[in-house]
Amino acid sequence: MRNRAAALLWRAGITAVLVCAIGLLPWLTRTDPALTVLKARSAERAPDPAVLADIRAQLGLDEGPFRLLAKWLRGDAGRSWLSGAEVTPAVLQALGASLLLMAAALAVAAVTAALICARTLWRGAQGRLGGRRAGGSGSAVLAALPEFLTASVLATVVGVQLGWLPALGWYGPRWTILPALALGLPAGAVLGRLLDDLLPAAFAEPWALAAAARGLPGRSIARQAIRRCLPGLLPNTGLFAVGLTGGAVAVEQIFDIPGLGRTTLQAALAQDLPVLQAGTLALVLLAAAATGLAALAGRLLIGPALRDGALPSLHGPMPPARTLQPFAYGGLLALVIALGLPRDPLGLDTGERLRPPSLQHPFGTDGLGRDVLARVAHGALDTLLLALGISAAALLTGVLLGLLPRLSGPLVDTIVALPPVLVALLVTAVVGGGPATPALAVGTVAWAPLAAHTSALLRQERAALHITATRGLGADSWYLLRHELLPAALPPVTRHALLRLPGIALALASLTFLGLGAQPPTPEWGLLLAENQPYAERAPWAVLAPAAALALLGALAVTAAGGVRVPRRKRRAPVEVPQPQPRTKEFVEAG
Amino acid sequence: MRRLRLLSALLLTPVLTGCFASEGTDGKPDDTGDGSRLRVALAFPPAENLSPYGADATILSRLGVTEGLTALDANGAPAPALASSWRRENDRTWLFTLREADFQDGTEVTPAAVAASLTHATEARPAPAALAGVTLTAQAEGSTGVRVTTKDPDPVLPLRLSSPSLAVLSARAYADGARVDPVGHATGPFELTKVMGATAATLDRFPDHWGGRAQASGVDVKFVADGTARANALRTGQVDLAEAIPVAQAAGLGQGMRKATATTRTTSLLLNTESGAFKNAGLRAAARQAVDTSVFAKDVYEGYADAGTGIYGPAVTWADGKRTAPTGRARATDADGTEITLATYDNRPELPEVAQVLKQQLEKAGFRVDLEVREYSRLETDALDGKFDAFVLARNTLVDTGDPVSVLASDHTCDGGYNIAQLCDRNVDKAVAKAERIADTGERQDAAMTAEAEILGTDAVVPLVHQRIITGVGTGVHGALLDPYERTLVGPGTRR
Repeated sequence: MRNRAAALLWRAGITAVLVCAIGLLPWLTRTDPALTVLKARSAERAPDPAVLADIRAQLGLDEGPFRLLAKWLRGDAGRSWLSGAEVTPAVLQALGASLLLMAAALAVAAVTAALICARTLWRGAQGRLGGRRAGGSGSAVLAALPEFLTASVLATVVGVQLGWLPALGWYGPRWTILPALALGLPAGAVLGRLLDDLLPAAFAEPWALAAAARGLPGRSIARQAIRRCLPGLLPNTGLFAVGLTGGAVAVEQIFDIPGLGRTTLQAALAQDLPVLQAGTLALVLLAAAATGLAALAGRLLIGPALRDGALPSLHGPMPPARTLQPFAYGGLLALVIALGLPRDPLGLDTGERLRPPSLQHPFGTDGLGRDVLARVAHGALDTLLLALGISAAALLTGVLLGLLPRLSGPLVDTIVALPPVLVALLVTAVVGGGPATPALAVGTVAWAPLAAHTSALLRQERAALHITATRGLGADSWYLLRHELLPAALPPVTRHALLRLPGIALALASLTFLGLGAQPPTPEWGLLLAENQPYAERAPWAVLAPAAALALLGALAVTAAGGVRVPRRKRRAPVEVPQPQPRTKEFVEAG
Repeated sequence: MRRLRLLSALLLTPVLTGCFASEGTDGKPDDTGDGSRLRVALAFPPAENLSPYGADATILSRLGVTEGLTALDANGAPAPALASSWRRENDRTWLFTLREADFQDGTEVTPAAVAASLTHATEARPAPAALAGVTLTAQAEGSTGVRVTTKDPDPVLPLRLSSPSLAVLSARAYADGARVDPVGHATGPFELTKVMGATAATLDRFPDHWGGRAQASGVDVKFVADGTARANALRTGQVDLAEAIPVAQAAGLGQGMRKATATTRTTSLLLNTESGAFKNAGLRAAARQAVDTSVFAKDVYEGYADAGTGIYGPAVTWADGKRTAPTGRARATDADGTEITLATYDNRPELPEVAQVLKQQLEKAGFRVDLEVREYSRLETDALDGKFDAFVLARNTLVDTGDPVSVLASDHTCDGGYNIAQLCDRNVDKAVAKAERIADTGERQDAAMTAEAEILGTDAVVPLVHQRIITGVGTGVHGALLDPYERTLVGPGTRR
C-alpha cells in the first residue's frame, strides 16, 4: 500500500514538474510568447512594440510566470491565448478524435501483429517450431516505414486515384480506415515482431509439451501461448497507444484530422501555454490510465503466477538465425553506398528536376535536380552513426532504468505521452540550442519504450521458478542480476532497440523545423524523406530511395541481431544445436 | 447477453459520433431554393475565432461575409462598397456617402451603425494592422454620410478603409463586450450561420444583399491547413474550390482546375547592411550579380511565378510602367571565400528550395554559405535583430492597406518595424517620407517607384520572384474571384 502511495506521489510530482516547466517555457527558452502568439494569429503582421505590448496586456504576461502558474494550479485551464476560446472543451474534443484514431490504429496494429506471428503460431501449435526461424525482415521493413510516407501513399493511391475511401476529413467510420492503417501498420509490425520473439519460448515450455501430449488441440495451445507472452508486451502496447495519441501529427495533418497531436503542436509552436498545458495534462492522464489498464490486463492474464513466483522463464534458447540474410541486406546497403559515394550529393541542376531513374541518375533526381543515389549514399554515414549512437545510449539508459521500475515506470509513460515537439522544446530550454540538442531530444524519448520492455521482462523473469531455485542455492541479488536477469532481458531488448533504429533517424529529421538538427542541403535520410514528401506522387523515387534505405537498415538490424545474442551462461554456450526441450532440462538441473 | 450488446452498441454510437468532426453541411437550403451550395477548402484556419480585427478578417472577406466602406479594384485603387462615394473635405477629414444596404440580421446600415463599427475597430487591442499608428474618429453625418477624421493627414484613407479588418458589422455583433461576433451580423452576400471551431463553417446566401442575390445558395467551408490535403480534396470532388495549392501539387490537378493569379507577394533576398559581410556594399553588389533570378520562377516555382523585377511585381499593375532604373549602385568586389549565413523559413515549402539554389549560385560566385532553415516564428526575432547575413523572405508588398508606400516604410527605413535588411540610408528615408506625404494616387505611385529605385540602389534587396497563387477550381465551377490581393474568393456570381 505504501508502495502504491509512493508511486502515486512520484507520478503526481512528475506531472506537476512538467506542467510548471511548460508554464515557464517562454522564460526558459527566452522566446517572447507575445511574439509567437502574434505570429500564429497573423504571420504577416510586423511585430512592432505597441502591438506586442497590447498582446502582453491581453494575456497578462507582464504579471510574470508565477501568477499564471498559480492560476493554473487552482485548476483554471482558462482560455486559449490564441483564440480566446475556452480551453477545456476544445482539448476534450481533440482528445476524442485522437482516442478514436488511436483505437482504430490499435485494431489495425493487432491484426498486423497477428499476421506477423501467424507463421510462428501455426508451426508452434503443430509442435514443429524447432530449427531455423525466419529472420522477420518483412516486419522490420514494415516497422521502418515512416508514418507520413504510408499516410501520403494511402491518401494518394487509395483515396485519390482509386477513390475507394475518402482521402480527407474525419466525419465517420469510413474516414478512420486510411489514417488507422498508416499509424497501425508500423506499430503492429513492432509489436508483432516483439511477440514473435517471445512465442517460440512459450511453445517450448513444459506445459505446452504436456498439453500436446494430452492431445489438446493446437488451437488452444496457441491461445495459451499468446496469453503467456502478452504480459511482456502489454506495457509496450500501452505506450504505443499513448504515443499514437499525441504523436500522430503527420497523419493528422495529411488526413486533416482535428486531433490532439495537431492541437498541441500548434500550441507548442505558438507558445499558447493554456492549451499546451491542458493538452499535455490530458495526454499524461491518458498515459497513466493506459499504464494502469496494461498492468491490470497483465494481472488478469498471469496474475497468480506472477504473485507466487511460479512462472517458467520465457527467454527460450533460440538458435541464432544463422542465415545469409544480414549479409544480403548489408551487402545491398554497402553496394548502394559505394555506388553513390563518388557522385555529387549537393550539386543541383534545376533543369534536371524530378527526372525518373535512368542510367545517368540510377535513383532519379529530386525536386532540385540532385542525384538521389548520391544523396542517399552520402547521408548514410551521418544518419547511421548518429542513429546508432542514440540507440546505444537509449539501450543503456533503458536497461538501467528498466531495472528500477518503480522509479522509471511513471517517467516512461509520461515521456512517451508528450508530443515530440514539446520534448524538443523542453530539452532546448534546458540545454540550449547546441549541436548535441537534437540527439539529446530524441534520446530523451528513445529510452522509454526500452525501459518499459526491460522492466516487463524482468518482472516475469523474477517470478520464474529457476530464480527461486538459484536464490535457494544461495545466490545474492547481484549474482542473480548478472547471471540470470540481465541475460534474459538483454537480447529481446537489444532487438527492440535495433528495430527502432529507423524511427530514431526519422525523429531526428522531424526536429529540423525548430532549427535543430541537420539543415538542408545536408543529405541526411530523414531530411531527404521530408524534403521530397511534397513530390511523393510525381517523383515517387525520390522518397522511395531513402525509405527503402531505412527499411533495409531495419531489416539488417533485426536479422543481424540474431548474431549478437548474449550467451546465457558459459556452460550453455554451444547453443547452436537446437534443443527440443531445453527448458525442461534446465528445470531438472536447477531443481 | 445479446440485448446487452445491442444496448452497448446503441450507447456507444453517440459517444463515437462525438469523436468525429462535424461536417457542417446541415445548413438549411434557402427558402427561394435555386442554386447549389459551394464547397470551399481554405488554407488558414481561423486563429482568433473569426475576430474581424486580426488575420481572420481575410477569411471573412474571402468568403463574401463582410464588406467595408470601400474595396480594392483590379488596379489597387479604392472602389465603392458600402460607401457609394466619398470626398476629401480637408487634409484630415473625409466624408463617405453610404448606399442603401441591410445587415444580415435585418437591421439597416445607418451612418450611426457604421460609425459605431469603425469606432469599435479603433478601440480594439492590439489595433488592427490597417490602423497601426493611425488615430481616427468616425461620426454619423446626416442620413447617409459618415465623416472620418484622422489626427494626422491621411491621404490614403479610402484605401485603408478597404482593409478586411475595418469591415462594417451591426450593433448586435458587439453585444458581448469581450468579443466581436460576425455570425449573422455582416453585410456581404453570404451570411455565416455556424462555425465549427477551426475545422469548418457554414454560410447561407443573404438574399437581401444590396448587390443582388448570390447565385450559390450557400457555402460549406472546410479549413484544411495541409496543401496536399487541399489538392486531394479537390481531386476527389470533396470540394469545389481550394485555395493556395502548393506548387508541388499543381501538376496533379487537371489543366483546367488550376488557376494561377499573380499576387503582390514578392520573394526577395535581403542582405544585412548593418553587420557582417554584407555591410560592404561591394559584396552586396557581388551577391546581386551572382543571383540568376530566371531559375527560380521557371524551375523552383514551376512557372507559377514571374522573375523578380523590383519590389512590386506584375500584380501591381501600374508599377512596371513607372519603374526607373536603380541608381548609385556600388561596384561588385570579389567575394573571395567570404562566409555568410543564409536563413529562411519552411512555412512556405518553396523557400527552402529557393535558399538551396541561392546557396549554389552564391557559392559559384565565391561566397561560402551556411543555410539556416527554421519555422518562421522561431526565426523572426533573430532575423529582425540582424543575426543573419542574408534572408529569403516572401512579403506581401501591399500589406493591410493596399497602399504601396507603407511596406517601404516598415521594411526599408531606419525606423521601420520590419527592417530585416537593417537598411538605414538617408536617401531612402527621404524618398519614402516624400512618398508618404503625397495624396494623389498617381503621384504617390511615382514617388513609391522613386523610393523603390533608391532601395534597390543600395543592393540591400534582391527581388527573386513575384509569386503567383494557384487556386484549385473544380470543373463546372464558374465565377470564382481570383484576386491578386487575396481578399476575395467567393462572390455573388460564384456558382457550380
